[in-house]
Parts: sequence; structure tokens; C-alpha cells
Amino acid sequence: MLQWKRIFCMPKCIDSQRFFKRYSSSCVLCTLLFVSFASPLIAETQPFPQPSAKVLDAQQKRIQAIAKATQSTIGVFGTDGQGGGSGVIISADGYALTNFHVTEPFGNRMRCGLSSGEMVEAVIVGIDPTGDLALIKLYGRDDFPAATIADSNTVRAGHWCFAAGNPFVLATNLVPTVTWGIVSGVHRYQYPSGTILEYTDCIQTDAAINPGNSGGPLYNSDGDLIGINGRCSFEKRGRVNVGVGYAISINQAKLFLGHLKSGRVVDHATLGFTVGSDSGRVVVSNILESSDAYRRGLRYGDEILRLDNREITTVNQLKNILGIFPSHSRLRLQFRQDAKIIDTWIRVTPLHSPEELEEIANGKPAEASPKETPKPNEKEVDDPLADRFEKRRGFANHYFNRHEIDRVLGLNSDAARWSKQPNQWKWSGKLRGEETVLSVILKDLAIESKFGDETRMIEATHGWGESVESKSLHCSALALQLWHQWRTIGPRNMGESTYLGTTTIIGTERPVDFTKVSVGEIDAFFYTASDNGRILLIEIEANNRVDRLEVYFDDYHKQGDLLVPARMETGFGLEARMICDLDSLVFASPTGGEL
Amino acid sequence: MRFAFLMSLIVSLIFCPLSLSLGFCAEATSADTDRNKTLSTVSASDPLVALTTSLQSKLVKIYGAGGPKGLESYQSGFIVSEAGHVVTSWSTVLDVNAIRVVTLDGRKDDAEIVGMDPETEIAVLKMKQGGTDFFNLKELDEPAVGNRVFGLSNLFGIATGDEAVSIQRGVIMALAPLSARRGRLKTLYQGRVLVLDVMTNNPGATGGAVVNLKGNFVGMLGKELRDEQTNIWLNYAIPADVVSSSVRRILEGKTNASPRSQQPVIAKRPHRLLGLGIVLIPDVLPKTPAFVDQVVPKSIAERSGLSANDLVLMLNDRRIDSRRSLEESLASIDSADSFTFLVQRVQELVRLDIRP
Repeated sequence: MLQWKRIFCMPKCIDSQRFFKRYSSSCVLCTLLFVSFASPLIAETQPFPQPSAKVLDAQQKRIQAIAKATQSTIGVFGTDGQGGGSGVIISADGYALTNFHVTEPFGNRMRCGLSSGEMVEAVIVGIDPTGDLALIKLYGRDDFPAATIADSNTVRAGHWCFAAGNPFVLATNLVPTVTWGIVSGVHRYQYPSGTILEYTDCIQTDAAINPGNSGGPLYNSDGDLIGINGRCSFEKRGRVNVGVGYAISINQAKLFLGHLKSGRVVDHATLGFTVGSDSGRVVVSNILESSDAYRRGLRYGDEILRLDNREITTVNQLKNILGIFPSHSRLRLQFRQDAKIIDTWIRVTPLHSPEELEEIANGKPAEASPKETPKPNEKEVDDPLADRFEKRRGFANHYFNRHEIDRVLGLNSDAARWSKQPNQWKWSGKLRGEETVLSVILKDLAIESKFGDETRMIEATHGWGESVESKSLHCSALALQLWHQWRTIGPRNMGESTYLGTTTIIGTERPVDFTKVSVGEIDAFFYTASDNGRILLIEIEANNRVDRLEVYFDDYHKQGDLLVPARMETGFGLEARMICDLDSLVFASPTGGEL
Repeated sequence: MRFAFLMSLIVSLIFCPLSLSLGFCAEATSADTDRNKTLSTVSASDPLVALTTSLQSKLVKIYGAGGPKGLESYQSGFIVSEAGHVVTSWSTVLDVNAIRVVTLDGRKDDAEIVGMDPETEIAVLKMKQGGTDFFNLKELDEPAVGNRVFGLSNLFGIATGDEAVSIQRGVIMALAPLSARRGRLKTLYQGRVLVLDVMTNNPGATGGAVVNLKGNFVGMLGKELRDEQTNIWLNYAIPADVVSSSVRRILEGKTNASPRSQQPVIAKRPHRLLGLGIVLIPDVLPKTPAFVDQVVPKSIAERSGLSANDLVLMLNDRRIDSRRSLEESLASIDSADSFTFLVQRVQELVRLDIRP
């Protein structure tokens, strides 16, 4: 009632009777205006209980989290400034994540708006059309405000979270819109709806996600990145939020990040078998004999218990776990066969054929007829990032693949010294725990592999596939040859080489770089340490029907001024390996002396 | 002086609603500080996660009839007794012999309808197996405007098998009668509802639970409704006390809504479909729906407002689940007596008095 009186009195205080007579109509208006403006002020003068310190702390924390997180949030536009989605910066040098469906209409070039109001140029790096992720690179600064990346496996339903982005492309000043909410569900599986975009193991939130939020970040209450917003349930209510939005978990994005940096069109994986639900159990309903799982002993009717150490109780759960891994991964699998529980590792293969992937990435099959030489268009000539884009089949931007191979090779500190070594060498050593002496000699065009008295000659270029198929341990010699070539002439001179991304080696946690090199009839996969570029593992694949040869290198030490491994382990699939202690590496003298 | 008087009159007239709204604001703010106290504690650690987790086992996913677009075959429900009683929304989803109820542990149970309350459109199901965890409908918290609440439901059918249903957070914006909304409503229940500020009432959400910060049941999410004048979808819940008394009436057998709860009494001169002027679709299935194919011109049915493509859901308080149950029920009413039909017309429920 106090408010009432005060407002009621006001006209009397300021106006005389005459004034009213004269300007009665405008007076009414003024009074009404005054009343409507004044009421909040008056409300403030009311005695108001001071919120508790806890409330103020929580508020302060929220303000800080939002302030931190909005800096890393970007708007993604076409080069003409049209369209619009969101994205999030994940490194100071300008790598940013967004949705594939955001970058798709923009092609290879886009412009990004920072929360500071700055507009910067960006180029596509890699795309994952199935998982709806795209990696782009922003240019113009080397101190981009990167988001702090959280572990999305710790996210639970009921956690507070917030989305930031550019819904409805509202923010003309580029300052992101923030919508607060909670996590409504985790490990959600969302079927591909009319497209191939499949959301697996994703985070569901009631924070408003609207058109334009796509590709933008979902943060936890600390302002750390937990997901990439990209999809909503709409149905009959039109394309506006109805309280259900989905974000790709940042852990899935992390697994794909190395792959995306390779500039490739990245693919998801298939297990090589299908499953069905049978009275609460998930059982194998079909299996390809060429699959790695089949080679590891999985058969029709076996019950799948765990994948990647996570329990499988539903088919959705299996799809969820598989969906977060890029192809070429090796996953832990536990299954029950009769009464036996078997733990093993399986390689997952690409979900799509290269042609299918190309079609998905480009919308239609690549044109067969060669195009006319494109006339240099003025805009393209002026493009400041023209040299950061290279079109090539199977790649979103081949420039970044070259860039990554250069980076991997540059990690070796002794690269220059190796390039000067002659291409004739002899390794010698012993089988561990045995007296058998081993030597591998490369001379001219053949590799001579000796185990004790047994000698095998392998041509330096031919017959590799056959040797690998025969599962001969002499194949170690091939790996040694590849090891040498990688260090002396480099992958580009060995064959068609593609940096694939980052992955892990069985039994280790640390991500390593891996590069595929096609040498003659085989594909070689080089796994190199991400800090010093040392070759840790070379795999040789003859074809997808047989296990790869796996040769692990370890115990690197200095021999002269070159770093060489002292230990080599050879095996196929997961079978027991041969371990060799390598004693010496001798090079042919430049004058051509005998080894 | 006259002007001043006029002035004050105008101001007071205009200001009246304003002062009311201010009063409303003040109320909300005091509730707000209350809420903030709990809010800071929930954001400090994870009691909200604990709350969510503890509630999940009380919720169920329900699957039944439906399928075509706009007619979902799934909805939500919650367990209210150790014996395995499940409360949900009475809808066409329940028009099947065996209603599939899936609990948090992924267990599938074929539940039966115990009964339903036509006034509130609440149905009670009974699972074969009991539930260890349930909402106690005997001890209820009084919901108030400004209360922080959470909606738990399987909206959009997102969760399947042993997956947890979705949780959304909101605030009770108002406690108001549903009938006070403008425009025609597609529901029979016109009473008091909790109006929520969060988009809870989505496909499949009906029958979900709304809880407060203590995890106590405060309301049941209603069916999808939109205000036909503003086209706005409503987000609301039927208050716990209404749900509770409805459930009690159903369990006490006071609503006679189960399809064959009593032996039908045959009237001497009963109503017949043809006499009423109703032509249903041919009876070809064990449970052919009582779907009106034609209405004979100038018949009793036409005069009473029945039209082709209506689906008869209830006759008086009796649930009609098939053409046969309609014929049986009609047979118990003397042709001189009036009765009431509840029919579904496209997405709308219409009550018709059939007067001979």
C-alpha cells in the first residue's frame, strides 16, 4: 500500500490545478509514463533482504563462467557475411569446432565473428559429415581465446549447463547469446533423421538451443566446454526450441580432433558385425568373416558384454559407444561365447566407402569430366587465405594434411642427419632369451633376413603382400626397411602418404600421430610419438582379410649421433610376438664397402 | 478540481492492475530468495544430480497404441505404490490389450488398466511386478508460485530400455484454472493447474512427474494443449492434490471407468446403433475401434452433434475400447434415456449429450 500512496501523490506534488486544466490530456499521458517508469525505482526503495553470501557467490561464479565462456564462442558466417551458425575456439592458434551442417553451405571459406566484435577470416580444415562436426581455422591472431575443455564423461543429468551462440542470428554486435539450463540426459542416442547425421552418446539439455545455435558450445557451470550443440527435437512446433536440445559430447570431438586436423573427410566406424536384442542380452546377429572381430574369435550368437570398457545392455548403447570413435580405431571388446568370457581388441573399419563419403561431403558424386581450367576470379585472387586451401578428393582441405605431415616429421631433432645416410644398411641382433642371431641387410634391391641359419630374400619392392599374408616373422625385415625409408627419404618419397590423425596404441593412453603410406602392394601405418616423432609402431596391411603385421619399436638410444631402437617386437593380430634386441646398425660406407 | 478528480480516477483505474502485478512481483521475489537459498546449495555440489538419480526409478516409459504422425504411441508414467500401480494420463496410447511399461532397470511389464477418472483424464495402471521405489501420494507438498520444480518425462520417447527419462528445470509461474485460458481447449479437465515456465508438455511427456527441490511429487504433466487463439503451446501440470484424489477414487472403485468392470445390465428396450442413426466402421478386429463411419441425417445422433470420423471413447462414465464394448454398453441403457458420449474428433475431445 505504501507504493500506492506515493505514486498517487505524485501528480499533486508536481502539478497545480491550473496546469491540469490546460494540459489535461498530455498530463494524463505524462503521469502514466511517469508511473510506469517510476514504479521500478520505487520498488528499489523497498527494504529488500540482502541475499546470503552463498547466493552472491553463486551469482559471481555464474557471471565469471559466462564471461570466460562467451569469449571463446564465435559466430560462423559465409564470406559474404550471410547465413550464420556458431562455433567455439579450442586453441590459441585459431582452431575452432562447429557443425558440419553449419560449414557445408559455406564451402571452404568462412568468416567468424568474435565476441569482441572483431571479424576474422577462416578456412575449413576437416569435416566429419556423419558426426556433424567440422574443424575450421581462424586467422589474424595468435592469441585466440580458447575454451577450457572438460571431460564430458563426468557430465550427469541434473548438472547446470549453458549454451552460447548466435540463435536466430540475433547478435549484430557479435556478442553471443547465453541460455542457461540443466543437463536433461546423457549418453543419448539419436537416430539419423532422414540424413546420415547420427548423434551418438550425446548430451541432452533444456538450455534453449535454437536455429543459429548450431555448432556453438555447451558449457558446464564453470564455463568449461562439454559439448557442441547441434540438434533439437522439433516435430510439430516449428523450428524453435521446445526444451530439448542435443550436444555432441566434447569427448567424442576430442577423439575426432586429431583426425579433423588431417584435413580429411573423416569417417565413423563399423564393427563388421550386427547385433540384436534377445531377452535383455545383446547378441551377434550377423558377422562378416573378413572382420577383425571374426578373426578375434567372435561368432554368431555370442553375447556382447562390453565395448571400450563400457557395459552393453542395449543395442542403442552399443551404437552410442561405437559412434564416438573414428574409423581406424582399435577398441576393447568383451564377449561371452558359450560359458567363456573373452576379452580382446578389435579394429573398426570405415563406415562408408570413399565414394559414399565423397558424395556425402560434396552433396553429389564428384564430376567425372575434367573441368575447364578455372578462370581466375577476382575474388579468389584477392582471397587472403587462398594459399591455405587445397582441393583434393577425400579431403576437406588437403593443405592441412601436408601441414600435419611436415609437423610430424619436424618433431625429430635428428631429421637432417638421417637424410644424409646411405641407403644400404645392416641391422643385427638377437631373439630375446635365445641364442638365435638375427640380421637384416638391405643391399641393392633385396632385403636379406637371417634368423640363425635360416635365410629369406625379399625383393625390396615386390612380394610384400604375400609375405605378410603368410604371417612369416621375416616380415620384420620389411618393417625395418620402412623404418629406414621414413627416416631417410621421408614418407612423401615412399608412396602416397596421408596423415590420418591421432590414435592410441594398445596398452597405452597417450595419443600418437599416425600416417598411412601406400608402398607398392601394401599399406603401411606409421604410429609416431606426438612429442618427439619417434616411430613406435609400423603396421603393414596386405588386404583387409588378414591380420596386419605389427612391429613395435622401443628403447630408443643414441648410436653415434643417430637415435635408433634397441628393441623390436613383431606379431600379427594379437598373437604372441617375437622380441628382438637390436645390437647394431651399420651403414655401407659411401665408397660402397661390403656390409 | 473536477479534473483532478477525473485524473485520479483514471490513474487509479489504470494503476489498479499495475499494483496487482507489483504485488505479484513482490510475492515472486520473496519466493525467489527462498529458491536461491536452495539454488546455491545445488550449484555448489551435485545434490541435483543425486535428486535426479533418486527419482529415475520412480518413472516409467509407457508404450501402447498409436504410431501415425501426431498420434504418439508412447507416453510417461510414474509408480505410486509398492504393489506396482502406475499413474499416467488417460489417452489413446492406452487403447491396447497389453500396455507395455518399461522401468529404469529395462524390465518390460505388461500392465493392465485399473481404472480412469474422466474428470481429470488420469488413468491408473497396474504392473505385474511391484515397484520398489514410488512417489508417496499421501504426503504432499503445497506448490507455490515461484517454486523451483523439475519435470521428469520421456518426452519425444528419447529414452528406451534401461535409459533414464529426461529432466527439465523450471519454475511454477502461476496456479490457475486451465479453463481461464482463452480459446477452446482440447481437454476435459478445466481445473487448477501449475503453469510452468519450461517447455515440458511435449509429445510423450504426458503422465510425467513434476517434483520440487525435495524430490516430492507436486504435479503430473498434462497432455499437449495449445491455445487456439494465440497458438501457444501450454506447459502445465495437474496439481498433486488433484492427482492424488483422482487416484484414490480410481483405486476405491468410485469411478466406473474400466471397460468391463460390471456385468452389463440389459435394458428391456435398449438403445441400438441404428436406432440412434450411428453407422460404425465394420467390426473386423477383436477390438475394432468405435469409429463413426456415417451419421444418418436427421437422426438422434445427428441432432446431438455426432459426426462422421468421431471416435467414441466413453459412454457416460464407462470407457469404450471397441465397437463391441459400445454395443454392450448401449444395451444397458433404455432407449428412452439420455446418455453422454465422449468422442475424439481429430485431436479434440468433445462431450455430447445424446437425447432421444
